[in-house]
Amino acid sequence: MNDAQTARQFVDLVAPHLDDAFLLAKWLTGNRADAEDVVQDACVRALGGLAGGAVEKPRAWLLAITRNAALTFIKRNRSKTIVASGDLEALEAASFSDVSERPASPEEALIAAADTAAVEKAIADLPTSYREVIVMRDINGLSYREISTAIEAPIGTVMSRLARGRAMLIDKIGRR
Amino acid sequence: MSDLERDDPRLLINAAIDDELDAAGAIDIERRLAGDPKLASDHSRLLALQTALRRLPREKAPERLRARILAMAPARAPQPRVVSLSRWRAAPLTALAASLALGVVIGAGGLSLLSQGERVQVADRTIVADYVRARISGRPVDVASNDRHNVKPWLAGKVTVPTIVADLSAEGFPLAGGRVDVVGDRPVATLVYQRREHMIDLTQTPVQGEAASEPRRETVDGYGLSRWSEAGRGFVAISDLPASELDAFVAAFRRAAATEREDQPSATP
Repeated sequence: MNDAQTARQFVDLVAPHLDDAFLLAKWLTGNRADAEDVVQDACVRALGGLAGGAVEKPRAWLLAITRNAALTFIKRNRSKTIVASGDLEALEAASFSDVSERPASPEEALIAAADTAAVEKAIADLPTSYREVIVMRDINGLSYREISTAIEAPIGTVMSRLARGRAMLIDKIGRR
Repeated sequence: MSDLERDDPRLLINAAIDDELDAAGAIDIERRLAGDPKLASDHSRLLALQTALRRLPREKAPERLRARILAMAPARAPQPRVVSLSRWRAAPLTALAASLALGVVIGAGGLSLLSQGERVQVADRTIVADYVRARISGRPVDVASNDRHNVKPWLAGKVTVPTIVADLSAEGFPLAGGRVDVVGDRPVATLVYQRREHMIDLTQTPVQGEAASEPRRETVDGYGLSRWSEAGRGFVAISDLPASELDAFVAAFRRAAATEREDQPSATP
């Protein structure tokens, strides 16, 4: 493939999914300015990696690259961005019991009606590894398999992080 | 999915709301929900959370970011841009296009080495690219005027055939101005009309020996494009407007153009 074809392919692959990439980057970095830097970096990586040939699922492909670019960015700017990583192992190992053993209550209405700011705050407060799977699934609409590829983890891990992360969100939003 | 996940109902109700269960799994979880009020309540909460998440506003990527990223592609291209007329010439690259526009292009005489189909394709790419570039740059016109009597003479000195400039403000398509694009190796006139916040580019190029044809609508890179020819010109209109409004624009332009041609019968090359 020559440069012209690569450039053309790049545009075809990337342009339709920039909004999704920006959303993911914004949720991972926590602000718009950093998200712009991350998406730009991701696109540089995407363009550089295109020589390899066909991309079957452009959205999942771009989001995976964006996610990695965001994690790199977060590591590099650790002082500015709070990253929960030390407690990840503990969280992974933790059971659900602490958040899901509460008695059933009519809090569904409260959750469903939660205001935007409260929901966004709850997502922002999640540890990165939970936030990323929830954003990829519920904001970007990726399938479990696509998320599994993007975060380079088994589907079982995707499932348990989704379940755990959502339980944390429900706990936080439903208890206000 | 390992046996652990398969057996954990809390993971399964998540998979259920995500539509990730096969039919057998879905039946199984329905059965479990029916017999387990605690699980059913967790399931309801998950659905409520899903509703809340879906309601979150979805911010779009800023235009400047989009422009920067789309500009990365041609930076690697082997062909230089044509700076003099401020449009890109490397047709396949320029098709970068991202979103909206309506434009009319006439003719592609300079692309004579290509087959008719290829000529049309290259011309389309150029037109889409010009439209997108104009939108990104914030400078959609070389001459800004809502008066066709200003736009027409300005174009007259720069393109080879007289441009048909119609006043469509009464139809809801006010003129924003005009510019010169390059299709193939030939400078052509592009008129820019407005519709609400949308822009409509109309490019006109001379065609030789081609019979008149009725407007044909197609989609190139997500843009609606309408092409027809008459009076010795080929027209292509491209827009992000709904198809019905693009059709309305084309119809209005053709009506007005017919009137103007009666005034100036020598417009045909």
